[in-house]
Amino acid sequence: MHVFLQTLIGGVTFGAVYALVAMGFSIVYRTMGLVNFAHGSVVMIGAYAASTFYMTSKLPFAVAIVVAIVVTALIGLVIERFLRPLENKDFTLMLIGTIGFGAVLEAGAVLVWGATGHAVPSPVATGPIDLGGIRIPTYNLVVIAVAAAATGLLALFLQRTKRGAAMQAVAMDHQAATAVGIHVGRSNAMAFAIGAGLAALAGSLIGPMLYVNPTMGGTLGIKGFAAAMLGGFGSMPGAIVGGLAFGLLDAFAAGNFQEYSELVTFLVFAVIVMIRPTGIFGEATVNRA
Amino acid sequence: MRFTRFSIAAAALIALAACAPPGQQAETGAGATGPIKIANVNAQSGQLSSLGQWEHKGVKLAIDEANKAGGVNGRQIKLDLFDSQGDPTVGTNVARKIAAEGYIAMLGTAESAVTLAMAPILKDAKIPNITSGQSPKLAELKSPFLFLNAPTSVTFDETLAEYLVDEKGHKKIALISNNGAYGAGEHDAFLTSLKTRNVTPVADEVVTPDQKDFNSNLAKIREQDPDVLFIGAEEVQSGLIAKQARELGIEAVFAGGAPMGTDVYATTAGLKNAEGSVVSSPYLSNEASEPIKEFAAKYKAAYNEEARMHVAKAYDGASILIEALKQTNGEGGQKLADAIRGVKRAGLLGDYNYDANGVGIHETKIGLVKDGKVVPEAAS
Repeated sequence: MHVFLQTLIGGVTFGAVYALVAMGFSIVYRTMGLVNFAHGSVVMIGAYAASTFYMTSKLPFAVAIVVAIVVTALIGLVIERFLRPLENKDFTLMLIGTIGFGAVLEAGAVLVWGATGHAVPSPVATGPIDLGGIRIPTYNLVVIAVAAAATGLLALFLQRTKRGAAMQAVAMDHQAATAVGIHVGRSNAMAFAIGAGLAALAGSLIGPMLYVNPTMGGTLGIKGFAAAMLGGFGSMPGAIVGGLAFGLLDAFAAGNFQEYSELVTFLVFAVIVMIRPTGIFGEATVNRA
Repeated sequence: MRFTRFSIAAAALIALAACAPPGQQAETGAGATGPIKIANVNAQSGQLSSLGQWEHKGVKLAIDEANKAGGVNGRQIKLDLFDSQGDPTVGTNVARKIAAEGYIAMLGTAESAVTLAMAPILKDAKIPNITSGQSPKLAELKSPFLFLNAPTSVTFDETLAEYLVDEKGHKKIALISNNGAYGAGEHDAFLTSLKTRNVTPVADEVVTPDQKDFNSNLAKIREQDPDVLFIGAEEVQSGLIAKQARELGIEAVFAGGAPMGTDVYATTAGLKNAEGSVVSSPYLSNEASEPIKEFAAKYKAAYNEEARMHVAKAYDGASILIEALKQTNGEGGQKLADAIRGVKRAGLLGDYNYDANGVGIHETKIGLVKDGKVVPEAAS
């Protein structure tokens, strides 16, 4: 039982981060019908930005995260601006463009921070909480709480604000949205900025749990992408459920299947997607090709 | 018109001839006077690039020194860097390239998997390779052109088992290792050393090299309450395992090979968590001896960073190659391989004395991590 609960804690923490990454993928996909392959690299830039401001400029961790979100949101806006001329014209080129941006960001990180990476000290000094032998590191609770709060704020933004409603409208029918006076380009730019901001949040939070280096976005990007697929690409609740499900699947596979854990995780993922190609919360997806 | 076509074809042929690979014109014989072409292959990008960059700096330091001191019997050494990305497939492409372009020796790589993939091609081309890999599989190849500039995992882990079991009397030992080329080698070597001492590990968890969350594996280990947790993984993953193990309340002593003697391990784990980790390594610290102190100061002056085992390893390897080249007067092939095998050198990692399997060093020392740095066990 102890092993089960301990596995659950690790799975939920990493799952919360995968959910944030998955939401970033989904929000861009919802509005533009585009998979942003640079997303994993944006997660890495977010992790670097937050850890650098936290460790070098000695900013409080929370403030460093906000600065990192602003930095990556700007990167998101730049990517969208470059891709905008291709929208509704060449979907494949847009995809390749995002892959290219991913490579550029990784190379840029090597130039700015070097290839070796750095460890980030935990911003929470308190020791783990012991619940009858189940140890919960306090930082894990922070990660889960912040991810939950960010998810809540995003839901409020999309449902309760005018700009959020406009983004939803563009996601549903961009031509009709244009007809009623919604600026599609601006809406897309905002989707990219929010997606990048979510990536930065995920990267900032995972930094003290991992080791920040230029290639860290690879695994996180792939797992976040798989989580978004599992939940239903483009669906925000799907991203959350997919992220948590993928985190748990990963954690339990590691304990039970040892060196074959990755194989088992992706096999289960493949079977689920074969049975339900649109994912758990599958909905009609956007296609602007 | 026909004349024009003919001229274009002729011009193209002349241009092609002019663009022949530079190595084909390189002088490789004993009477040659041009620069000696040496390839340095290491990961300069990707997850293992930190190792690759340290290795390259170590190699470059040795070659630059040799060139400044007049080169190899008056000939300069031309060192060219190739990025293997830590990927065996990329490695095999690079091996073909350096064979085609007239390089007479190769230094690197830091990864056993890449070296294993490159070895057959280099053997066919008779290009001696001094690698930093330490997988026992490298020695098992018995290639006359492959040399290791450190011991294999068998030596690392035999020293570790001797210290933990024979000296300290620990019997409750748990293992966690990854199934990459390095981790698997460490796992097998340590398990064999335990078996010869009739010790059965209380837990034997295998993870993947990309795994980040070890809660499940470590919770199982915690149930066995081991005295020692052997970690068979690279620097960052070893640090993550140590950190998560302490968070879970595992109080066992951490033990492992050279990666656990690095600052990357200590900072990833957190200095407090890494404290007291037992490390088996031929290179314990930059203060271990006068020649090591001198080397560390030289390295610091050149690159403004602290030297470490991977740098020293590569420096030793390059120094051995330079010594062998002086004996062959810059000639490569079998002659160079034989010369390397004959080099006896008191290096930074120990006394080099190559055996038939290409292993140069046959012992490691035990160190303990104190405040993020390794100190020799006897002095602690």
